[in-house]
Amino acid sequence: MPDPAQIPSQAIAYQLIGAGLLAAVGFLFLLPRPRHRQLLVGTFLGVSALGLLVAFLVTRFGSATADWVSTILFWFFAAGAVGFGTVLVVQRNPARGAIAFAFVVLSTCGLFLILAAPFLMATTIIVYAGAIIVTFLFVLMLSHVSGPADENDRSREPLLGGLAGFGFAGLVLFALHQSLPPASANTTVATPGLPLAPLTVVERSALLDAATHLAEAESANREQLLSTEFSQSTRERLESVVGGMTAPRGTVSLQQRLTLAQAEPRTATEIQQAAALKKQIQTTFDTVETALIDANPPDEARAKQALRELREQVVILAGTGGLPARNVSTLGLAIYSEHLLGVEMAGMLLLVATIGAVAIAHRRGDAT
Amino acid sequence: MISLGHFLTVGAVLFGLGLVGFLTRRNFITMFLCAEMMLQGVVLNLVAFSRYHGNLSGQVLGLFIITVAACEAGLALALFLTLYRRGRSLDSGAWQSIREIGVQPTIDVEPLMKTVPSPDYPRLPVAGRLPVAAEETARV
Amino acid sequence: MSDPTNLALLALGLPLLATILAAVMGTCSTLAKWAHLPVVTAFAGSAILALLVLSKVMQATGSEVAFLSTAQTWFHAGNLQVDFQITVDPLSALMLMTVTFVGTWIAVFSVGYMHDDPGYARYFSLMALFVFSMCLLILASDLLLLVAGWEGVGLCSYLLIGYYYAKPSAAAAARKAFLVTRLGDVGMILGIFLFWQAGGYHTNFDKLFAHITANPPDSVTLTTACLLLFCGAIGKSAQFPLYVWLPDAMEGPTPVSALIHAATMVTAGVYLLARAMPLFVLSPDAQIVVALIGGFTAILSAFIALAQHDLKRVLAYSTVSQLGYMFMALGAGGPVSANLVVTAAIFHVFTHAFFKALLFLSSGSVMHAMGNVIDMRKFGGLRTLMPVTHITFLCGAAALAGFPLLSGFWSKDLIIDMVYQASEHGGSHATLYGLVFLTALVTAFLTAFYTFRAYFLTFWGELRTPPEAGHHAQESPLGLLAPLIVLAFGAVLAGITVEPFAHGFSNLLVKAPSVVLANSVLHVEAEATHPHFDFALAGISTLLALSGMALAWWHYRTGIETVPAALKSVYRLSENKLYVDEIFNGMFVKPAEWLAVLSRLCDGLLDGVARVVSFIPRLIGALLKPLQNGLVQFYALGMVLGLAVFLTVVVVRTSQ
Repeated sequence: MPDPAQIPSQAIAYQLIGAGLLAAVGFLFLLPRPRHRQLLVGTFLGVSALGLLVAFLVTRFGSATADWVSTILFWFFAAGAVGFGTVLVVQRNPARGAIAFAFVVLSTCGLFLILAAPFLMATTIIVYAGAIIVTFLFVLMLSHVSGPADENDRSREPLLGGLAGFGFAGLVLFALHQSLPPASANTTVATPGLPLAPLTVVERSALLDAATHLAEAESANREQLLSTEFSQSTRERLESVVGGMTAPRGTVSLQQRLTLAQAEPRTATEIQQAAALKKQIQTTFDTVETALIDANPPDEARAKQALRELREQVVILAGTGGLPARNVSTLGLAIYSEHLLGVEMAGMLLLVATIGAVAIAHRRGDAT
Repeated sequence: MISLGHFLTVGAVLFGLGLVGFLTRRNFITMFLCAEMMLQGVVLNLVAFSRYHGNLSGQVLGLFIITVAACEAGLALALFLTLYRRGRSLDSGAWQSIREIGVQPTIDVEPLMKTVPSPDYPRLPVAGRLPVAAEETARV
Repeated sequence: MSDPTNLALLALGLPLLATILAAVMGTCSTLAKWAHLPVVTAFAGSAILALLVLSKVMQATGSEVAFLSTAQTWFHAGNLQVDFQITVDPLSALMLMTVTFVGTWIAVFSVGYMHDDPGYARYFSLMALFVFSMCLLILASDLLLLVAGWEGVGLCSYLLIGYYYAKPSAAAAARKAFLVTRLGDVGMILGIFLFWQAGGYHTNFDKLFAHITANPPDSVTLTTACLLLFCGAIGKSAQFPLYVWLPDAMEGPTPVSALIHAATMVTAGVYLLARAMPLFVLSPDAQIVVALIGGFTAILSAFIALAQHDLKRVLAYSTVSQLGYMFMALGAGGPVSANLVVTAAIFHVFTHAFFKALLFLSSGSVMHAMGNVIDMRKFGGLRTLMPVTHITFLCGAAALAGFPLLSGFWSKDLIIDMVYQASEHGGSHATLYGLVFLTALVTAFLTAFYTFRAYFLTFWGELRTPPEAGHHAQESPLGLLAPLIVLAFGAVLAGITVEPFAHGFSNLLVKAPSVVLANSVLHVEAEATHPHFDFALAGISTLLALSGMALAWWHYRTGIETVPAALKSVYRLSENKLYVDEIFNGMFVKPAEWLAVLSRLCDGLLDGVARVVSFIPRLIGALLKPLQNGLVQFYALGMVLGLAVFLTVVVVRTSQ
């Protein structure tokens, strides 16, 4: 594998320009037209463009060999998305195009799974494949045309459109090449003693245990809350994880830590979250003690509120560490806490769109 | 390990493909599906960043995009139906009346290849053999 | 109510109320035919109030009589302070009386004359507005308030002359009247501004006069300002060269002509000059110009009147001629004491109002009987058919011609006397005043001749009626005749009863503040308050008038117009109004048209430059136009290409 630092931008640029031109010319042959449509030539050119693209990917971002399963899955789904996408674009029959689009959606959903977003995957499948595509197939059936038709057998500016679209994509990819750090940083800098993935499975389960413990506090009374067993054990459990994360294991130079933070922002984020959580543990238990002992009468609700907030933080830290595990619940938490306004607005948008669709599609008298 | 760049590349390619389809295809439905494919590329980007940064904001945005896409689908459907009722066609080229005064309308000169259906002559089965039932060709 | 200003305000308000009432009544078809009621009532009420005002003024003692109403600020801006305030002094009281009295009888005549006209209510509403504007003009104690009334009179004359607006000639005449008088008004406004600047930023008459007489500006400014003010009077009172609108004003209904000629509009200029006498006596040069213009107008229009066929046109030119007399008299102020010239001018306005209204209404009666035909060649010998109209017309004509002892005789004689005195005491301008005096005498002869020419052509000879007359060809009904009879008495007796022996006018006008001020400027004591009667001059003018009448009788007693061969060319000249319209056309209209053509060429040139400039963006637009082909996908392609270019720039810049 070549050292990314030595890859000149020129080579990348040639690769991208070549891929874009090949794809554009290929689509010129592939896109529907009344005559001289040469699928074979077009397919060949398109496959060549794809080859160049893969070459770009491999040279630029490297081909990971460590994780075979996800690598194979990635290439499989990526090829599915791009391939069916091409079919959607060049297919004359819109109904077949819709089915191709369904496969594009499925492939993308596979990629979502690799990216640890199962809820989004399910939603996408349901909304797109289940609702939108079916609806459009329905429209297609209503407006079915037999034989050649202007809308299916002609293209608008095939060469110019292809050049514009692929040129745009190429430019985006080139900008990507310029802005992303060298891909090999995370594989080469493996500092012993530092967790590569900040939260190990053990730590995550410890966090979740602690969260469960905190959840029990909801139904506990004052004596139980004040008991050494509850507070001490929870604190110890949490700090065993958080403290271990915040304090570097072994000797790691500042330079290495900075490199790590730059290469893997996730690690940096989690370290920050862990530090914040550590601070919060301290303040939370202080608050609990103040509320239950010093306050007169004892303010049980305030103590439980503080514990609840602590638990949320714990859950988020545990959840982000292992996304699939509690994806739906943490997503729900994020939506209804951080992005509540956005959710409300999206709901409003849906309502307005529904009314608008009804108003537009309503047949006024004999409009035809 | 699959890097962020891989996913972003796939997202960009999906977006580009959708763009090409949106610019060149003339069927409203296909154009719409291509636009949705562009959205898919965007959502893929967001989810990849979400994973990369280790928080859920990207996924939340992805959810919002799906919501907007659903709205868009509903409205587009209604509009297509209205247009189809008016023009009996889903061809975007049939609607060009917003052009500047004095500009000639764009007319397709190249004739479509008309597939002349062969006349459906009655065929007598060959005597002495069981006739094969003609299968109905379905066009999906 | 003892204060005369309150009565005068009421007299001013009544016509305005009548205007509104008549206009409102015009909106309802059943009420419209009663629209004359408020107007006639208001006019009569105003006339009675004016009489009361006059009696109050006459009762007042002191050397100077003026009643001022409370001043209300009309508008105020910087140095300009204009108040709404009315003045009741002998001058305005006399004018108010004349206007409302004559106006009342004209309104009564209109009731019969205009019946069944579709615009009945509109007519009466405008009449009332006309009289209101004139009263405002008379009573104003501020130059700008006077201008308000002045313009109101102009507007109403426009509306009334163009009363038959569907008739193109009427519309054209209305436009002509409006535009020509407006030409004079421009000068007048400039004159007012000049006086405002020179007169200590006052527009109030009393303050302005006091300031100007106390600190007289240099003679050039003063003469310029006076002449500019006189421009307004020229336009409104139809003096040369702006008299051309008045004969055309005959297109309106006949009572309107009577109103314009007798009472309201044309006397405004005379009134303005009488009012501004303190200013004019300061500038002898302006005065001689006034007198010369008056004299020239008088003889010119008298000459034109000789050969007109249209009865009303003859009367119109006679009005112009008589107004010239009035300006002659006013122009004599300076060499002659101000109270005398103002008396002469206003006395002539007064008598003229009676006999000219009478003549117009009589001709209206003739016209009514002849089915709206007014060409004297088409009818004749009407004295048997219309005896009352004949007698009243004869009274008016004799008064106009200056037949001894009738009203016109006294006032005209007074004017001739004034001009004669001016030629004796005129100083450096004595010769010019002598010329004016001769002009006045010749005009007197011409006036008698053309008046009686019209009289004989209309009423003598064989009875002839035009076919349009039909069954109308009979004496007019009593509603039309009553005003004629009243005005005939006025025409016969108004002169002799008021001035020559009773000295009603001269006694009264000598107390008018502006006259007093003008006299003090001239260092004239009030000893010469009464004009003396010069028997020699009276004899000469009587001789001239009688010879004019005799010549007319000798030539036109058959009622048929014949022109001696020797005088053919002169006749033709007069008939074509001395070709003044044609000369004006050549002098002003044609150059203006050439100028217009030139301007149009320049305009075209400028437009060409502008077109060249505008061609560049148009060219760019034409090049880019095909891009707007209405295909939305094509637009999207443009957007993407633009985005790609932008992105390229960004990427290239960051990679360097």
